[in-house]
Amino acid sequence: MSKGYIDDYEQGYDYGSYDDYGGHTGDPALDEYNRQHVKMPEGVKNFLVYFRNNVNEGLIFELQALYEHSWPKLTEDYFDKRPWPEESEVAALVDSDPVFMILYKELYFRHIYARIQGGPTLEQRFNSFYNYCDLFNYILSAEEPVPLELPDLWLWELIDEFVYQFQSFAQYRARLQKKTPQELETLNANNKVWNVLCVLNVLHSLVDKSNIKQQLEVYASGGDPESVSGEFGSHSLYKMLGYFSLVGLLRLHSLLGDYYQAIKVLENIEVHKKSQYAHIPACQISTSYYVGFAYMMMRRYSDAIRTFSSILLYIQRTKQLFASKTYQHDQINKQTDQMYHLLAICLVLHPQCIDESIQQTLREKSYHEKMYKMQYGDLQEFENSFVYACPKFLSPYPPPIDSIPDDYSKEAIQHQTAVFMDEVAQQKMLPTIRSYLKLYTTLPLSKLATFMAQNNRMNDGKWDLDKEMQTLIIHLLCFKHKMKNVVWFKGASGLEGKFQSGSELDFYIDNDMIHIADTKVAHRYGDFFIRKILKFEDLNRKLHQLKL
Amino acid sequence: MAEAMKQTVASMLKGIERYNPDNLPTLERYVEVQSRENTYDLEANLAVLKLYQFNPHSFNTDVTSQILLKALTNLPHTDFILCKCLLNEKQLAEDPINQIVYLADILEQCDFELFWTRIHTLPELTQRITGFVDWIRKFVCHVVGITYQTIERTHLAQLLGDVDDGTLKLWIKKYGWKETGSLVFIANQDENIKTKNINEKIEFESVGAVMASCR
Repeated sequence: MSKGYIDDYEQGYDYGSYDDYGGHTGDPALDEYNRQHVKMPEGVKNFLVYFRNNVNEGLIFELQALYEHSWPKLTEDYFDKRPWPEESEVAALVDSDPVFMILYKELYFRHIYARIQGGPTLEQRFNSFYNYCDLFNYILSAEEPVPLELPDLWLWELIDEFVYQFQSFAQYRARLQKKTPQELETLNANNKVWNVLCVLNVLHSLVDKSNIKQQLEVYASGGDPESVSGEFGSHSLYKMLGYFSLVGLLRLHSLLGDYYQAIKVLENIEVHKKSQYAHIPACQISTSYYVGFAYMMMRRYSDAIRTFSSILLYIQRTKQLFASKTYQHDQINKQTDQMYHLLAICLVLHPQCIDESIQQTLREKSYHEKMYKMQYGDLQEFENSFVYACPKFLSPYPPPIDSIPDDYSKEAIQHQTAVFMDEVAQQKMLPTIRSYLKLYTTLPLSKLATFMAQNNRMNDGKWDLDKEMQTLIIHLLCFKHKMKNVVWFKGASGLEGKFQSGSELDFYIDNDMIHIADTKVAHRYGDFFIRKILKFEDLNRKLHQLKL
Repeated sequence: MAEAMKQTVASMLKGIERYNPDNLPTLERYVEVQSRENTYDLEANLAVLKLYQFNPHSFNTDVTSQILLKALTNLPHTDFILCKCLLNEKQLAEDPINQIVYLADILEQCDFELFWTRIHTLPELTQRITGFVDWIRKFVCHVVGITYQTIERTHLAQLLGDVDDGTLKLWIKKYGWKETGSLVFIANQDENIKTKNINEKIEFESVGAVMASCR
């Protein structure tokens, strides 16, 4: 923990411009009292009291405004780089209302994770975990649905944050090199805190309690989900927590490299379709990111490309919507950029027609250069793009107690990168072959073998045609094998599908002749002109409206 | 046996039960049964690797090797990659897992001749997996089936692991291919693999909007 952070923390009660209670009274006890009670700005006090009343009365629209606007606004004004007031201070204001305090603490810790330099302390990590336990115990162990309603965005961010804090803890836990002996001792003595099984258990329990799987199944087949929702699942709180927990599981499985379970957990959810559950953009974007990534790792490039392009198109069209909410915006921007990188990787490995406006973005900026390098077999570029765009993989268990104090947090990401790079290396020759095949409709094997040998600078111009032919045939078989992948058509599970060649260039070998089939895309002049005409009309209209 | 175990195992894979380490012995036995009886259950096998991931001290090299070899029998599906992602670098470097990883690598690159030479030097590695060699031949036939219209007979025999004439004929028959002299006719590929032309289609509505503003 850096010194700077501790200083910052201790000044935490000094609310900047509101510090007009300056001087000391000479009485340390009174000073302490002042520090604790007097200095919370009136605005914040009123906000907290009002907030609690709204939670108790379940005024969902008001809560939404408080959560989405007032909280971020007050954070900006008073708590930009310092924590919100301590639990004890707030408890005094709200009659120690137990449910409100849990919710408050959830926001309080979330803010520490997001905004406080140096990140949360060990103690704060533990306390945040215990607070989540309190929250989920309250919701899950009740005999009947708890009388609590929260905005869907809050519920999504709650589950997302829960998984994030687990991820953050696992990374923190694996960095042994900077820990004091006491810290290590505390960590080893508390192996249950942020334990992966505990996190899985919470998410599974929320899924089970809400009957969300049954609800989605009935919904997918056109029925009324209410008919199977049960006592808990008909309540918005349980239903949405259940749905978001499925997405939380998708993320958690992905972080652990379990792509099969990641896709399987979303059974009966059609990622691209609008549905009554899919109205939180951040959730939709996150879902597509992890689904697309899992498909890419499973070499289901068509499915990955479809998933990424569909969500990127959605983001392109609704961009203005997110612009106002800054804290979400950063996250969405980052994930968008990561998805363009992943899409670029997929398109290099598996060239395919995609939507024109997505293609346009890939032609711009740095993407174009990166794709160019990857096409020419720059393995480092593949690796850089992958590491930038992949999830922050983690190891589910801490390093053994007797490990030498080192940084183990990168091991998981290195492993997933290695698996992916093995795949890329296996496909290394395919772009070269593709670039030759593109020029012909038929091509004798021997001629292509000659091209390949001449292209190879390693052989000093000495080569043997028979050998080259043998190597070429292996590459051609590999080409066909790698380009024929499982593609999803229909069905409840995203794991289903049929083998298909979705790439734009295909071929077959008839004894010693290669027959090539390419996809030819005509230029889209019409679309271009229509857009320009409409733009011109629009401009013209505006000019007419001008009054000089 | 495999059929009988399937139900028991399925209940062990539901929800949170999947992570219960007490199920490991049963699931490991199920892997042995699959190897012996030539059946395959990817989901159960992934659950074993998952339990190893959560309980590294229970890691069993022998069971893992069988799971990985079974994954190869399901090529061209990418089961092997799924398994690999659940292991870690240290486990993959262990003998004989490292050799299986190498076999997977050359199979994925379709260097079948190298694969068969390699297999002959390691007969004990794959012996326990009933039907292993035939599963790989099936994968070879899949790749040949999507690549060739006609292939030289000798080349086909080589790809299948230098099989004798009788075996070659069996495989040709199994896939409905036809021998024509020194060549084998696989399938009429030009029906499936042909040049596609994507032409621009302009919707009536798009033109309508433009025409409307011309008035």
